[in-house]
Amino acid sequence: MIRHLLPVLLPALLLSACAEPRFFEQDNPQRLSDWNLFRDDGARLIPREQTLVFTPANPLFTDYAGKLRTMWLPAGEQARMQDGELEFPAGSILSKTFYYPTGADGVLLESANHENELDRQQHRMIETRLLVRREDGWHAMAYVWNGEQSEAFLRVAGASASVSLQRPSGIEDFVYFVPNENQCAGCHVTVHPDGPLHPLGAVPEQLAAAVLNQNENPDMGHPSQLRAMQERGWLEATSPQPAAASWEDTHAELDTRAQAYLNIHCGHCHNPDGAADTSALVLDGNHRNPVEFGVCKTPVAAGGGAGDLLYNIYPGAPERSILLYRMESSEPDEMMPELGRSLVHEDGVALLREWISAMDGDCPEPVRAFGNR
Amino acid sequence: MSTAFRIALAVPVAMTLAACGEPLPQLSFEESLQQQLIEAEPGDVISIPAGTHELTRSLSLNVPGVTIRGEGMDSSILSYRNQLQGAEGLLVSADDFLIEDLAIEDTVGDALKINDSNNVTVRRVRTEWTGGPLETNGAYGIYPVQSSNILIDGSVAIGASDAGIYVGQSTQIIVRNSRAESNVAGIEIENSTFADVHDNIATNNTGGILVFDLPNLPVQGGRNTRVFNNRIVDNNTANFAPEGNIVATVPAGTGLMVLANDNIEVFGNEFVNNDSANMMVVSYHITGLPIDDENYDPFPESIHVHDNSFSGGGAAPDSEPLALLREATGQAVPDIVWDGTMVPGKTAPDVLCMRGNGDADFVNLDAPGGFAAPVFEIGPHDCAGAELPEVSISTEP
Repeated sequence: MIRHLLPVLLPALLLSACAEPRFFEQDNPQRLSDWNLFRDDGARLIPREQTLVFTPANPLFTDYAGKLRTMWLPAGEQARMQDGELEFPAGSILSKTFYYPTGADGVLLESANHENELDRQQHRMIETRLLVRREDGWHAMAYVWNGEQSEAFLRVAGASASVSLQRPSGIEDFVYFVPNENQCAGCHVTVHPDGPLHPLGAVPEQLAAAVLNQNENPDMGHPSQLRAMQERGWLEATSPQPAAASWEDTHAELDTRAQAYLNIHCGHCHNPDGAADTSALVLDGNHRNPVEFGVCKTPVAAGGGAGDLLYNIYPGAPERSILLYRMESSEPDEMMPELGRSLVHEDGVALLREWISAMDGDCPEPVRAFGNR
Repeated sequence: MSTAFRIALAVPVAMTLAACGEPLPQLSFEESLQQQLIEAEPGDVISIPAGTHELTRSLSLNVPGVTIRGEGMDSSILSYRNQLQGAEGLLVSADDFLIEDLAIEDTVGDALKINDSNNVTVRRVRTEWTGGPLETNGAYGIYPVQSSNILIDGSVAIGASDAGIYVGQSTQIIVRNSRAESNVAGIEIENSTFADVHDNIATNNTGGILVFDLPNLPVQGGRNTRVFNNRIVDNNTANFAPEGNIVATVPAGTGLMVLANDNIEVFGNEFVNNDSANMMVVSYHITGLPIDDENYDPFPESIHVHDNSFSGGGAAPDSEPLALLREATGQAVPDIVWDGTMVPGKTAPDVLCMRGNGDADFVNLDAPGGFAAPVFEIGPHDCAGAELPEVSISTEP
């Protein structure tokens, strides 16, 4: 009797043993499925229940893609709050899956909702990025979904995907870029060049926002996502953290929203220690005066990115402001941010235009004694 | 072992194999090169074979101690004519970096950018925009910034819409035996200290060689640069820099321009036919741009110009005050032009000393006086300026 049950039982036992995410201390596996972050029934990609689906307060624009983010800490381990930073234990895995809802004839749609699982009939997955906390620090990598949507493969050197996206103005065809590992560091290393790689979304001020995941315990109301971590035993109780201002929060002051937008989209490079400190433009909120965030500031090495304009921000005149010119460009040598988008972010442009329009003052008109034209 | 148990073991093995059945993606030349750069270990040499290799995205290197080596600047070509992503061709943030014997062509932005790196050698590298001088060309060819111990040797930079060879916010620099042609600025040393620029050819640029110091930058106080034994010839290309960039203010026909730097020694150069002026020494005020930086010194000081040869030039100045001067005198603009601005209390020889420049002529433009009373006497500047020590860098013991 027992003999006859064995062939049935053993695979079942193995499956249940596999039912939690798997951490790799050294080599990155070639296939996303090896990490076991998702339960995949063929029709849907579903985060394992041991993971926490989370959403940062002040999100980054990525070509109108939706993002499904998960967090996982190994059993019995805890994150620590230290000097306002969240220190994750070795073995922690953060994931972010970029997807678009599918429309008719292979056209993809802007993502409007925060999905908690991805139904393959209704979504196309492009890539899943991982941040993995090992003993020596965080490691970033990207897995790219195949055409059949059956597996995602490690692409150290990044990849690209052709996308036709339905926009309000019509269908936009563009190339979506999956970052290579150096490009991951381009944003996740904020102290250039030798600082540590670290998360940008799974940080206290981003996680202090309310849980959006309805699958999380509904009796909890809408506690902060830090509370959700505590409920899982992943974090000691801490004093409440202030949530980051969000550029999406239409109740907030215009200046607050604009600075929040610049912070999340630009501050990882444009900070006093960042890769873009060569430009002396500080957009992470640590500016000491308006010149440092661009008011009447002349460009340094912008090349064509200067757009034949003299000042980074010309108060009251968005059309004379390099900052807006670069946000409205999708030319690789002109656009800002340099990475992370192929399309113009219309809502972001509208916000920054309104912000610059509301500024008072003038910049000096150069009197070009030597000028050649 | 019973038969049933063997079967039970076989089932999960088969399942595992099936899960691994998806073939791994094949990598293109571009992807495999970028993967090599990411996975490189210190000491590795990454070879670029002969041939023209098309790339669509920026390459980047963050690993120290790596060499990238081609088979010659006319043989191993990285072509970005179909570039889709990235603001540069190759972006390096890595110490102990050597790149040699290859070309980077037609990038949408900068060709070779090296940021925050120590011990950098660029040898026999060509950066070029192959369609000639166009505003749509990328800004910089060979572009180390916030770096130190930099050697650029035997290289070629053509067609940059800002500067062909541009070293910014850096220290301990040698640029030698190189050729800069058809750029807006041929060779530019900006907000940098301790640079030797020698035995180069700068020709057909808008400005041949620029030594600049600009405000509102984390590294400023540009000083101690020697410009010697260069040929600075026919830099008369119309300025094609996008407006807003500082080099867009440089008149076509500029041989050498020293702007707001201190302790500069210029000797043994051959200046020929630079049609605004063979050489200019100016303050930042000449740009007409505002200065909102209390730590910034806009005035040049201790500029020592000796034993150079000058011929032709100044015949067709692309600058209003120089053009008015040419009209008023009926003569070509003098070889050496100083705008005449200085810190109150300083005297002419504190700014500029000149000796042994053959029959070179000179003008103080009187910019502070609205260019009303230019002075042509070279006498007040007949002084023995300082001779600066040779720059030594760690890669050239």
